[in-house]
This record gives sequence, structure tokens and C-alpha cells, in this order.
Amino acid sequence: MSSPFVKRLHALRRQGVQRVRGLSRRELLRGAAASALAIPAFGLLRPEARAASGLAERIIFFYFPDGVPGPSQDGEASLWHASGSETSFTLGEALKGLEPWKDRCLFFNGLSLGSTDSGSHPGGAKKLLTATDYGNNESIDQHLSRSVGSDAWWRHLTLGVMAKADNASGDKLISYVSAGNPLAPEDNPSTAFSLLFGDGGGSSTDGGGDEPDATALRRASVLDANLEDLAELRLQFDGSERAKLDLHIEAVREVEGRVLGTSGGGGGGGTASCEVPALSDSFTTDELYDPARFPDLLKTQIDLMVLSMACGLTRVGTLQCSHHTSELLMSRFPDTEMYDPSYDMRSHQASHYGSKHDWSKREFKAFVQQRQYWVDQFVYLLERLEAMPEGDGTMLDNSLVVLCTEVCDGNTHLHDNMPFVVAGGGGGAINNGRLLQYGYERHGKLFVSLARAMGEDLWSFGDSASGDLYGVLR
Amino acid sequence: MKRPFNPRPALLLPLVLALACDRGRGRDDPDEVAEVCDAASSPPRQLRLLTRREYNRTVEDLFSGGSGAACDDDADCDIATESCSGGACLADPCTLHTFVFDPQGASYGRVHVAGTFNGWPATEAAGGWPMEYIAALGLWVTKRALDEGQHQYKFVVDESTWVHDTANGVIVDDGYGGYNSVLNLECGDAESPAAAFPSETRPKGYGYDNHAASAIVSSTHVEMYLRAAEALSERVLRDPSAVLPCDPDTIGEEACLTALIEGFGRRAWRRPLTDAQVERLLTRALAEDSFDDGVALVVQALLTSPYFLYRSELGEGGAGGAYVLTDHEIAAALSYTLWGTTPDEVLLDAADAGELRTAEQREAAARRLLADPRARAHLQDFAVMWLEIESNETASKASWVEDDFPALREDMEAEVRAFFEHVVFDGAGTVDSLLTSRTTFVDADLAELYGLTGVTGQSLQEVTLPDGQRGGVLGLGAVLSATSHSDSSSPILRGLFVRERLLCQPLGTPPADVPAIPEIDEDATTRERFEQHTSDPVCASCHQYIDPVGFGFEAYDAVGRYREEEGGKPVDASGDMVDVETMGAGTHAPFSTLGELGGILAESDAAQTCFTRNVWRFTMGVEEETGDLCAIEALTAQSGDVQDLLIQLVTSPEFVQREQR
Repeated sequence: MSSPFVKRLHALRRQGVQRVRGLSRRELLRGAAASALAIPAFGLLRPEARAASGLAERIIFFYFPDGVPGPSQDGEASLWHASGSETSFTLGEALKGLEPWKDRCLFFNGLSLGSTDSGSHPGGAKKLLTATDYGNNESIDQHLSRSVGSDAWWRHLTLGVMAKADNASGDKLISYVSAGNPLAPEDNPSTAFSLLFGDGGGSSTDGGGDEPDATALRRASVLDANLEDLAELRLQFDGSERAKLDLHIEAVREVEGRVLGTSGGGGGGGTASCEVPALSDSFTTDELYDPARFPDLLKTQIDLMVLSMACGLTRVGTLQCSHHTSELLMSRFPDTEMYDPSYDMRSHQASHYGSKHDWSKREFKAFVQQRQYWVDQFVYLLERLEAMPEGDGTMLDNSLVVLCTEVCDGNTHLHDNMPFVVAGGGGGAINNGRLLQYGYERHGKLFVSLARAMGEDLWSFGDSASGDLYGVLR
Repeated sequence: MKRPFNPRPALLLPLVLALACDRGRGRDDPDEVAEVCDAASSPPRQLRLLTRREYNRTVEDLFSGGSGAACDDDADCDIATESCSGGACLADPCTLHTFVFDPQGASYGRVHVAGTFNGWPATEAAGGWPMEYIAALGLWVTKRALDEGQHQYKFVVDESTWVHDTANGVIVDDGYGGYNSVLNLECGDAESPAAAFPSETRPKGYGYDNHAASAIVSSTHVEMYLRAAEALSERVLRDPSAVLPCDPDTIGEEACLTALIEGFGRRAWRRPLTDAQVERLLTRALAEDSFDDGVALVVQALLTSPYFLYRSELGEGGAGGAYVLTDHEIAAALSYTLWGTTPDEVLLDAADAGELRTAEQREAAARRLLADPRARAHLQDFAVMWLEIESNETASKASWVEDDFPALREDMEAEVRAFFEHVVFDGAGTVDSLLTSRTTFVDADLAELYGLTGVTGQSLQEVTLPDGQRGGVLGLGAVLSATSHSDSSSPILRGLFVRERLLCQPLGTPPADVPAIPEIDEDATTRERFEQHTSDPVCASCHQYIDPVGFGFEAYDAVGRYREEEGGKPVDASGDMVDVETMGAGTHAPFSTLGELGGILAESDAAQTCFTRNVWRFTMGVEEETGDLCAIEALTAQSGDVQDLLIQLVTSPEFVQREQR
């Protein structure tokens, strides 16, 4: 019995790997480990960018927890949302960090999650990216990773910063692999870095070579054996277990593509921007959940996200900062206005600032400062993308960057007038520099627009949105 | 039972669907349970992805170098590297070193080991380590735990003749014209193989890492599985004896690869491979460049296969929708339920012989497993998840509350593990005593936190807590810390802990328009700040069931330190276990210490049933559902003893029956 794969394997061996014959297994492994320390030839992955297509190359979702100072319980106006006309408008106090980037952003009034299954933070987090109650849908980032992102080296990159603190799971995560199944983000930049750029193991280290080496061939054979087993096992089930195995098969195929170098290399990105990969900071295990290190961790994860996209490794990224009802001690962020070693102020604690916008209250002041911090970090992400040349412009010109949180006002927990911001030119697809105001529109329509900006002919997304969001696309 | 598609509300129980808190729910109404028994269901046919915890233990057992061969005592194993445990040869941990002296056929009265580790004693009486003569091997042997690092030693024959270890090539001049043998003990990187795997997800309220439906394999998992398998296959190539049952030069490469696939494959996949599966793997192995490459491929392919990564609970049969687990599925279910790791040789043999099908056979197996140290380690893991203390691992505490929480939380987790193990295996054994026992384990730091005197040092010591204060799981520092904020206790989190974790009475989420969390007012106690919940009617509908319970924990601060005053004001730690059986029933059970609260809970049916529900979840990998309640009630009624409960569970029909959902 000789499977087609094994025949292919023999053919590949005949073509390209004779040179490794005679090396022992151990020498081979050592050789693989050593060569992995060198930078893979990413340029070979990305023959050309798609920049001239008028479509977005990539999308990044940037999530922060516990809402914004929206309309207060006593009816005061939002300190987040913009006011004015479509082209002449003023940003709310908490959004002021985006003032220099106004022309590169879209702001929204009147976008709603609709009603949610359990309301409040959990209901919002489950519905935020799935646009569906109970999180009973894949999230938009995962959806895009399977459509326009499917030919990339990595279909998606889901990073977190203390997102798994407090043993968080279930309704505290926002990215859903499939209906009801959230995905845990990677909180450790070193782990993510070694997966993406290699450290002597893993399939990504072989990326870009013209011909697979012996290690890659064996990995391919192992993955092929996995696929045979999966196909056999799959026949014994239907329903949810078969769906589970289908996702497993999808994952193995993605890795197989990387191993054999057959991924399409559709992650976008000009090769000129892909600099020598290096992690900008390193962290001990204890530091991964030390609030004093949060700002450095977030910057490192942002750098990693931008680097991986500059190198064309992925088109779809999600960055989850903490999680809803967060115990994150933002008063311990050094070198910020929030810093106060004598008093612990948590995100969720600050979000319940009271019934009115009372600047004399410690919680309210901290809440606005915290939200300004999140906006500043979003701006840092935009700056990094803007600093990377791509085609005739910058990476930001070809990107979509979405700022989001699971409730509107942190105190009232309402899900109307959701504080989304979309930044980036989307390769020319986005009609930015505007304030888009609606009486009531569901946020699933925004996702339809974003998918179309990336070239997917999507008609609806989530439980009650069809069509795109008027005014987003050029 | 065919369920309507309903994506996991927190707990699919009949009485918890109401969102308003003043609707009666909690304990199962007897009439409702009777109805439920008519509609009893089986757990779903499903695949259960190994958790990181299970993966680590499994590969440790598969690769620790142990041959896994059946044995009656150590002499049946490779005595230099293995010991006989649970009927199988398992590798010794790195720090357990076996000294072997070969008398070359000569007969001696006694032999002992002397070295840097025991002060070179000339006699056994002076502290020499006696060796045992094993006639079957013709060797003198002793196994000893050593610290990592360099050691020198000699064998002393009949307390008169000093000789070095001729089997050990590393020697140094002993200064007397002879040699000392040198042992360099390096255990290397202790990082567990699954350390970097993505963490498990689970629905809110489920509590355990093994929720089967949530376990979705992403491409990151696949990458990590590949890496781990490659590292493990390197280990095999360094020391092939761990898994390779043959010498290719003697029996031929193809025959030896076949033996590897059949032998190691059976252990890794927890069942014999089919002929087609053996053939497939053999073809791939033979396509590799060398025998070593073939071995690496086989090991990697076996360990990244879904047949290894998922524990199958597929069952067979299917007549009328009823499936029964196969013999090998039962073996794995037993070992993962009671050990958290792969079946040993005895279990696999019993499965091969079809000897796990009856309740009596499973009971005998379960009693053997529970007597093994692996059961203790595994059920300690259960305790950590049952009590939801994992959040301490990432928590920060305010410096003015506790400036060395990272060290303290490790002590606290160790206490939880020791406490649970003691109650279940060495103490009264009951759920009652989990809730009330005043025997616990503290080191000097925890003793200071608890206000106990007379404990010194960094190792845990058994202590009896004073009457009238803390007791049972409620008083554990880990639990009190996990149910607090960084700088203050949380009556809400503590009340919810009792309600949701100990009574299985989940509450809905807070409504919109939640008023501000009260600011820390230096003139007010935590209790005073939170009392407005029960005065505001909107909040009170739920908080009437939370706060009066949580207030009863107020004698303990954000790390569980006992306190009588807060901010100069006396602490009021009186509590009321409102509606312990059913929310909305209007019962009251006032208490003034956590010991009393533990007693109230221990006497309640709700807490007893809730413990069974937790064990059920942990065993089945699913949230308990309406159709499971009949079995859960029956299990609870049969025994208040934790080990008995496990035995009842694995001997119940539900343990082996599955249905297609």
C-alpha cells in the first residue's frame, strides 16, 4: 500500500533532498534548529502586495474592556461619541487622542448590538464580534480568516494582554472559532513570537524555502498521517463531534500549507517593511500578569502584530486587552496619569462611576483617564502601521483597524450607540474622515462593510443584519 | 433525549432558566426529579481532547523511560531505571537514583553505599545506605533520592572493603590510591511538554478544564502538538529502550518498526491498532531515510493523531440510540477519571480480556486506582478547580494588604491540595468534612496569616484550627483570596462562591443601571458600603441571596487574614445562609463563624447534591443536564463519602452508556 502522499514524498526526495542523505537524525535536527535561528526568507512568501487592488490588505480588531463614559444614567451627553456633521465634527473628551488621526478614521453614532441574551458585560462580549446572541456564531475575525484570510501563512493571529487573567474563559473571550466556542488568545509574546518566527521547532521555521528540507518532509508526512486518521475517525460521528473534527482538519491543513510552503502568501505586505524580527521586550512568567508591566506587554503585542503583518504572515489579527468586568489594576500603570501607588483602581470598579459625570469623584476621573489610555494605545498601533511603508503609501493606508468594547457606557451597560471606531484607508475602500450617524443600525452591518472592503462578497453577518452599513464604503 | 439546539446557557437545569432571582430555584423539586427519572438520558458520545494537565501526565507515563511491561516487583523491570508501580514498569524520576553493585558471582554478607551525600559512613549503623541482594538478578541494589548536582560514592563490602562502581566510567582519584565514582545528576529543563499549548476554554460556571464541547483544535494547537511530539521523539532516539521493544539488527528493521507501532501504539492510543492502521504507519516509516527516522516518524505520527489527542467516548452498539463504551474506552475512562492519565498495563490487559464490563470488575479496578499515588495527585487538581482558586495565580494584592502574595499563594494552593487529599484519603473522607474539618496544613507563613503559633519552617505541617473560627474549605486562605479584590474583601464574590460553587444555584447577570460600586470610605467598613444592595429593591431581588451569606466572611480580609476590626471599626461578621435549599423559599440560617456556615452547608441536601454535580462534570466532561439529575440524586443519596461516590459513579450504568446527540 502506498498512498499518493508517500509517492509525492518520494518524488520530492528525489528532486531536492539527496543532499541530506548520510546525515544522522540528530545532526539533521541540530541543523534544523540552527538554521531556524536565521531569519526565514519571508520575501519569498510575498511575491507582490495587493495594494493596487483598491481593497484592504488586512484587518485588526483592538478590544478593551468595560465600555466608555457614554451618556450617563442621569442623561448627560457622552464623553466619547463625536458630535457635529458628517465632515465637521468634534470628538468626545475620552477620544481626544484620535484628534490628529480624525481624517484617517470613521466614527459612528447609533450603532447597536441589539438586545443581548444576558445583557450587561457578558451578553455584550459574546455578541461583540459574533453579532449573535450567546456567541452562537463564528466571530467576524474568524470568519474573515476563513474567507479573505485563508490563503495567508497564518489565517489569524489572536493575541491578548492579560486576557486570561482571573482564570477567564467562557463569556469573557471575544473571538469565536465556531458557534459557542471562544478561542483563548495568546497572552505571552514570547510564545507567539516563537510560533510565528520560529525558535528551532514548529513548522513556520521552514517557511519560504524553495524546496522542503527533510525535516519539513517528515512533518508533512506526520500531518498527512493525522489527516488520514481524522478522516477515518470523522466517519464515526455526525453532528457536533464531526464539526469539531472538521475544524481540526482545517487546522492541520493550515499547518501543512506552512510546512510545504504551499500557502498562497496572501497576507499582503511589501517585503521592504519586513525587518529582522525581534521581540521588543521580554517578560518572565510572573510579569505576564503583573499590572505594572501591562503597558510594556501591550506595546510588545502591538509591535508583534504589526511585525507579523509587515512580514505578510497574516491578514487578520485580534488583540484582546484584559477582559470584561476587569480586575486589572490600571492605577499601577507606571508613567501614566492614572498611576497611584496608594490606591487600587480597577477597570470595572472605575466603570461604575455613578449616575453622573462627576469629575470630583475618584472613579469617574480614573475611568476617563483609563479610556484615554486605551485610545492612546490604539493610536500607538496606528502610528506603527503608518511608520511601515507599503506600496506607494503606508501599511495603515491598506489596513482596517477596529476599536471596540463590549458595552457603551460602563455604568449603564447599554448596548446601543456602541463605541466603535474604524481607522485606516482599507486600500482605498473606506470613505474615512467622517462621522456616520444613524438612528438605529445593527453593528453586524459594519462587519459586512468591512468584509466587502477586504474583497469578500458578504451579504449579511450575525443574527439580524443584512446589507452593508451605509456610508462606510467609498 | 434530543435536545433543542441551545448553545450552553450557564447550566442547563430545569429550574435555573428564570432570570429574576426571586423565583424559586436551586434544589431539585422531588416531583421534578421523578419526572426527570422517566426521561433519564446518557452522556453524549463525544471526543474528549486531552487537557494540558492530562497531556503532561500522559506523556510522562508513556515516555518516562518506563517499559510499561507487566510486573509484580521491581526485579521484573529494568531495575536501574524503573520501578514496578500499578503492575507496570514505570521509569523512576530523575532524582531517584539506583545504585547497582555486581558481586561477579561472589557471595557477601552485606553491602552499603557511602558517599558525599551521607558522609562516607564505614558501617550501616553509622548511616551507610544498605543495599539489597536480589537473587533473581544476582545484583545488590538500592534506590535513593538525591539532590541534583555532583555526588561521589563508593560501595562498602561487608563493612570492610571499599570499591568504586565499575559500571560507572566517571571516576576521580580518592587520594588513597583508589577511585571514587562520580555521579552528575542533572534533571534538565523541568518545563512540562504542554506548557505552551493554548489554554482550555469552558462555559461560564462549568469550572473545569475538560469541557469536551469547548475543546477545539486550532492551528496553534497543531503546531504545538508537532513540537511536543518532535521533542519527545528526540528523547526516544536518545534512549530507544523506553519505547522500542526490539533490536533492528537482530530481527530486522521492518519487524522492529512493526513491533514499535503495535506495542507503543497500543499504549499511546489506549487500544490495539487495527491492521490497516499498523500498515499505514509502517508504509510511512519505511519511506523514511533511515531506521531512526522511521522511529521518529512513528512516534510523532502516533502522538499527533486524533486517536491519541482525543479520548474516545464513542461507544458501540447504537441499537435504539444507546451506545456502550468499548472495553478500551472504559479503561481510559477509569484511568482519566481517577488518575488524570493514561491507563497502565494492568488496565489495558483487563480491557483486552473484556474484564471491565461489569460493575464488580470496574469497582475492583477503581479501588486499585484509588490506592495509587496518581489518584491523590489527580484529585488534588479537582480540588483546585472545584474551589476556583486558579485566579490567584494571576492576581495582584495591594501592598498594604500583602506584599508577598506570589509566595503566599503558592503556600495557599499547597494547603488546598494537602487539605483535600487528607480529608478524602486519610481523614473522614466525607463531603461533610470537606466543609467542616478543622485539620489543615500550613507552613510558617500561612500560620502567621491564620494567627497560629508554634509552626516554623517552609514545609506544610498538620495543624488543628481553633474551634469557633475558620474550618473546611470556606476558611482556606486560597478561597478567601480568590473571592476578594486586590485591596478588599468582596462579600459579593464570597456569597456567589457559596451560592454557585457549593450550592449549584447560579444567579443571573446584574441588570443595566447598576449603581456605582461604593467608593472605599475610610470611615465605613466593607459591610457598610455594600449594605445598600439589600436596601435598594432593584438590587435586593438578587443580592438578598448573596450578601447576607458573604457578610459572614467579613472576619477575613483580602488574603484571608483574620481581623476583628477594619479601619478602626469593629467588624460585623454575622451572616445568614438564606434559603440554603431553594432560593425564594424564605428560610433563614443565621451564623457567626465560617465553622457554623460550614455546618449549615454540610447538613443541606443542596450542598451534597452540588458536590456530586461537580464530580459528574469533572468525570463526564459535560455540564449536567436535566436527564442526568436522576442519576446524580441517586449517587448523592447513596453515600456522603468522596471515594465511595467515585466508585458508585464508575460502577453506574451512566459511566459506560452514551447516546448520540
